[in-house]
Amino acid sequence: MIVFLFRGIFRDKSRFLFPISIVTIGVALVVALVGFMEGVFMGMIDMTANLDTGHLRLVNKPFYDEEHLRPLDRSLAAQKETLKWLEHNTNSDITWAPRIRWGALLDVPDVNGNTKSQTPVVGMALDFKSSDSFEIKRLHLVESLLKGKLPLGKNEMVIGNQLAHSLKVSLGQSVTLLGQSFDGGLVADNYTIVGFIKFGVTTMDKKMVLIDLIDAQNTFYMDDTVTDWLGYFPSSFNFTNYVDVKNKINFNLNTWIKTPPKDWAKDDIPITLSILDQQNIGSMVKTFTLIKSFVVGIFTFLMMLVLWNAGVLSGIHRYGEMGLRLAFGESHWKLIFTLGIEGLFIGILGSIVGCIIGGTFTWYLQEIGLNMGDAFSKSGLMINDVVRARLTLDGFIQGIIPGIFSSVTGTLIASLAIFKRSEANLFRELEAG
Amino acid sequence: MNNKLISFHEVSKIFKVGDENFTALRDINLEIKTGSFMSFVGPSGSGKTTLLNLIGGLDVPTSGDIFFKDIKLSSLSRNMMAKYRRENIGFIFQTYNLLPVYSVYENILLPLLLNGLKENTVRERVIDIVSKVGLLDQIKKKPSQLSGGQCQRVAIARALVKDPLLILADEPTANLDSKNSLQILELMKELNQQYKAAVVFSTHDEKVTRYIDREIGLEDGKIIFDK
Repeated sequence: MIVFLFRGIFRDKSRFLFPISIVTIGVALVVALVGFMEGVFMGMIDMTANLDTGHLRLVNKPFYDEEHLRPLDRSLAAQKETLKWLEHNTNSDITWAPRIRWGALLDVPDVNGNTKSQTPVVGMALDFKSSDSFEIKRLHLVESLLKGKLPLGKNEMVIGNQLAHSLKVSLGQSVTLLGQSFDGGLVADNYTIVGFIKFGVTTMDKKMVLIDLIDAQNTFYMDDTVTDWLGYFPSSFNFTNYVDVKNKINFNLNTWIKTPPKDWAKDDIPITLSILDQQNIGSMVKTFTLIKSFVVGIFTFLMMLVLWNAGVLSGIHRYGEMGLRLAFGESHWKLIFTLGIEGLFIGILGSIVGCIIGGTFTWYLQEIGLNMGDAFSKSGLMINDVVRARLTLDGFIQGIIPGIFSSVTGTLIASLAIFKRSEANLFRELEAG
Repeated sequence: MNNKLISFHEVSKIFKVGDENFTALRDINLEIKTGSFMSFVGPSGSGKTTLLNLIGGLDVPTSGDIFFKDIKLSSLSRNMMAKYRRENIGFIFQTYNLLPVYSVYENILLPLLLNGLKENTVRERVIDIVSKVGLLDQIKKKPSQLSGGQCQRVAIARALVKDPLLILADEPTANLDSKNSLQILELMKELNQQYKAAVVFSTHDEKVTRYIDREIGLEDGKIIFDK
């Protein structure tokens, strides 16, 4: 019987194309929208994690409390010992990267050695030179390099392309960093600009300078000392689990603090933060999840409304068929059941087509991206200028389930009229044609 | 041998129309025998369709009892009534009511599928009945490609294919010209004799009366003659 009904569905475009189109459009929109939202949001999270917060961050609490001042004197000493501890006391799938956040004045001299231009810069020192370092790959630095090379020699730096433009510097230009050392003294060290980077984040392109970790340690007198340890999970690790891992590390840290490395200051208290604890990302994630559910909910509801009406229209279109089947002795329940199966079939088919269309669009946006640099130019958000969608299994599920649900529910709501249909009127109705 | 198929005992049917009661049938006593070929005749509103509804288990009487063999129809649940129709009753409508998206073959197949039979087990049966109504060369066509007479033949085949004990035909010739009407009536008569299914018409077409074995006249919900 089901096969027989499906033959009818395929032949009758009016009862097939419209509901399928609705489900297809709805699912495609949900998949694309969720993919886009997920891509923009998770792109922002990833960008923030890669550049700034890590998925986890081990930092000295006194430094964290005054982070905006970049108090290098509150950095965490015993870098090698700390790495060893992290490798033995945290999940083996976390990769730990040492960083130094620093701030300084960047002075550009003219040919006579007088200041030509000068600006405060935000700096990050990371491990460029170790063979086992993932930092270059993690920050996509090779792809982001507009001109020149990465700082692989001594006292070399790369700077944001907009910063380079505003300072009117060229590659090979010698500049001086003026800042504060680990022990509070004034430091001045010369660096050579070897590359211009387009981070893709406007605020960073305007202010950011990257130097090698060892160079920074030499410049700021921070031997065996870093400001941060950033921990990175593999991408398969869901961020909802970060808190558990963080708590476990903090628990272990409490034990370690009782017998600290000898180079630590008395008031050094390293703490672990997850990305959700930093830069208000936790509440942004909650809001994002809520908005996403809301969007999916609205689409489901709208699809259901349209499909309900499509079901009613189909019911009117097939009034004769339904009446005939009732007159021929098909029970109301069986009739509604077969309609439910039709709805399920249309929901599944529409969802598949919708997933293909929405998925293709999302894939395109994932691979090619959408340049929104102009829109973000005045934004302080750490968000890539090229916005990319993200194709995830979750996105498909969030499209398919509402697609099928709305198709079946819409059909069933519409078929309630069949339940009320009285057999006593069938002859009259069928005779009326 | 008891060949009583349907019996009415003091059956009345009253409809509520607004605040008024409309009596469609009054104290009807009637028997329909197996294999009979009969009709209800009478003007509009005389109660013909209501009688067909009651016989077909589409409606229940306000008072009195209707029996199918020994089964009291009014005691059946909605589902049992559907089963009764599914297994025992074939319907033929004035406007054919063929499903436009299905072919001749598929329209005739439908009642068998509703009875839970598989298509591959009944294919020959459908082809056989299509051949009996003379439409074998049209078997793959859709209703829109057929004439009115051909459509009614399909409807007859559809009613007969499940081998019912009773066929209810409401004005089956009303939409046909004289030539087609006669052909249809001859076909129905022939199939009635062949299949032994009782055929009950409701009609005011005089041509029908020439073919039937029994004619029951109705007026204002009462039987005025039975000949």
